[in-house]
Amino acid sequence: MASAFVAAFEILSFGAIIVLVVLGLGIIASMMGIFNFAQGEFVLLGAYVTYLAHSRGIPIWVGMAAAPFIVGGLGFVLEALIIRRFYAAPIVAMLGTYALGLIIRESVRGLIGGFYLTVPEPIGGSIDIGTMHISTWRFTIIVITLLVMGGCYLLLSRTSFGLRVRATLENPALARVSGISTPLIYGATFAFGAALAGLAGALIVPVFSLFADLGIRFLIQGFVAVMVGGVGSFIGPVAGAGLIGTLSAALPWVIAPVVADVLVFVLAIVFIKFRPQGLIAGKGV
Amino acid sequence: MGAAKQALRATVSRGPDVSMADSGLDRALPARLAAGRKVLPIVEGAVLIAALILPLVLQDYLTVFATRVIILALFALSFDLVWGYAGILSFGQALFFGSAGYGVALMARDLNITSIFLVLPAGTLIGLTTSLLLGGFLLLGRHPSSVIFVALGTLTGSYAADRLARGWYYLGGQNGIPSIPSMSLGSYDITEGPVYYYFALGTLVVVYLLCRFLVRSQFGLALAGLRENEQRIAFFGYKAQHLKAIVFAVGGTIAGLAGSLYAFHEGFVWPNMVGVVISTQVVLYVLFGGSGTLIGAVIGTVIIEGVSFWLSDNYRDIWPILLGVLLLLVILFRPLGLISYVLGERERVGSFGAGPKEKRNAAP
Repeated sequence: MASAFVAAFEILSFGAIIVLVVLGLGIIASMMGIFNFAQGEFVLLGAYVTYLAHSRGIPIWVGMAAAPFIVGGLGFVLEALIIRRFYAAPIVAMLGTYALGLIIRESVRGLIGGFYLTVPEPIGGSIDIGTMHISTWRFTIIVITLLVMGGCYLLLSRTSFGLRVRATLENPALARVSGISTPLIYGATFAFGAALAGLAGALIVPVFSLFADLGIRFLIQGFVAVMVGGVGSFIGPVAGAGLIGTLSAALPWVIAPVVADVLVFVLAIVFIKFRPQGLIAGKGV
Repeated sequence: MGAAKQALRATVSRGPDVSMADSGLDRALPARLAAGRKVLPIVEGAVLIAALILPLVLQDYLTVFATRVIILALFALSFDLVWGYAGILSFGQALFFGSAGYGVALMARDLNITSIFLVLPAGTLIGLTTSLLLGGFLLLGRHPSSVIFVALGTLTGSYAADRLARGWYYLGGQNGIPSIPSMSLGSYDITEGPVYYYFALGTLVVVYLLCRFLVRSQFGLALAGLRENEQRIAFFGYKAQHLKAIVFAVGGTIAGLAGSLYAFHEGFVWPNMVGVVISTQVVLYVLFGGSGTLIGAVIGTVIIEGVSFWLSDNYRDIWPILLGVLLLLVILFRPLGLISYVLGERERVGSFGAGPKEKRNAAP
């Protein structure tokens, strides 16, 4: 019973991490039609900002709070300078964002060297329930993920900014005619997606530690999750991320980890092949 | 025959002059074409001659490095065929490269087979089989797959293979398979050095010529149409998905050949060879050199590998960042790659099929 509970918690917390990473990727892919290959590196940057704050003696939570803003700001600048040129050609966008990601990744690698750097958890210790101990920080990640998910949903579905974003997604020409500055909306959306990735990186760095290839692993998992969930809506990628995250955390408990690792990807690709529209089809929130 | 050629030259030189006068673009190109000269064979010939005399002037350890570059150029050719000519973004080309490498390494380790007549066909066959399976699955089917799906599918396939190779004890895990014996021809061992260099170069030239024939044939014409406007080609009655799957398999076959050559040359295989690192590296080579021209892939490989070898002593940390910046600049401002500085659009697209047809295509 106790081990089943611990397993469930592990699965839940890993699922939450994947959801957090995919949220930004999904928003950029759904709202702008761009598969951002630099998203993994935005995660890495968020982690790096947190590490930097920690190594300078600033409290970790300050670094974590600053990370989304710094990464989001960078995302805004990159969108205005580079990404903007790619909207017409999604394939070129993949290659261009890949190049961007390469630059960011190698810069960070140059800064931290080939090391694995650890950052302590800002809230340490464990929560004891009877005889079981669960990590407080992992629990905090789950809570924050839920809050961020809810916040994003409300932002997109209830605010006037969300309305503009959705209008731009549905029909850019009509949105422009209606007086919405679509370039600004695209910039803001991209920055928002990047900020979410930065937040994800900041939150997971105590769990995974900081290394230059941190992003790649999440990038591919994130892409698969977005495709499984369905591009075009807000809820689709989240559902896909939940499924992929749960599956990749749960399968190693059942079968050999090596097989489980590969099986998740194979299953996902087969699923997408036969249901290209994903779990949840359709546009909107 | 000679008269026909003259006529062809005349049409070719007239065509671009008109269009160039309209657009007023590059001024050097019409002049070069008006002289009736083609740039592409000159570039190809120059590269070949340079490659032929290279081992005579290089030190031994540099010849070994040059051999590696030649093999990687063969690999880049496979990606160029798939992306530059058929428009399939195969982000996991290393899957075929690496699985062939692992395949021949296992043959050498467990079965003690190193004969060149067995391992190279086996590696090529592994490349063909895996690419047929993956390409058939990703590309064929009732609904045509989106380009993004194929790109992510190949990337995921390569990543999954990487993870599998890392975790599987039989394949050596993280360390891969070290100390593969040399490839043998009868009782003679082909070890790294000038012999291996010329062998790899010979293979590259043969494969290059075959590819050149393929992309200049009627099949290549259909491919060019496919790349420019897939829907229209489908309306013409071509089975677009089948064409793509065929090219994908050809690309996989070449990658398999390159992978087996690479495994024996390096003497070991390791998980990176099948994974995302090499997969994306080959994308860099081809985009940098110029996708859609075969020689562009070769030149891109030589330049990137050469410069990174040259810089790796002093600027080890800076070089990958610089590479990213260069790639970004090329994508933004020179989407056709470095080769487009010397090669005009018309020659890049080229003319197709046999002589008389060529004339018809070139006519304005």
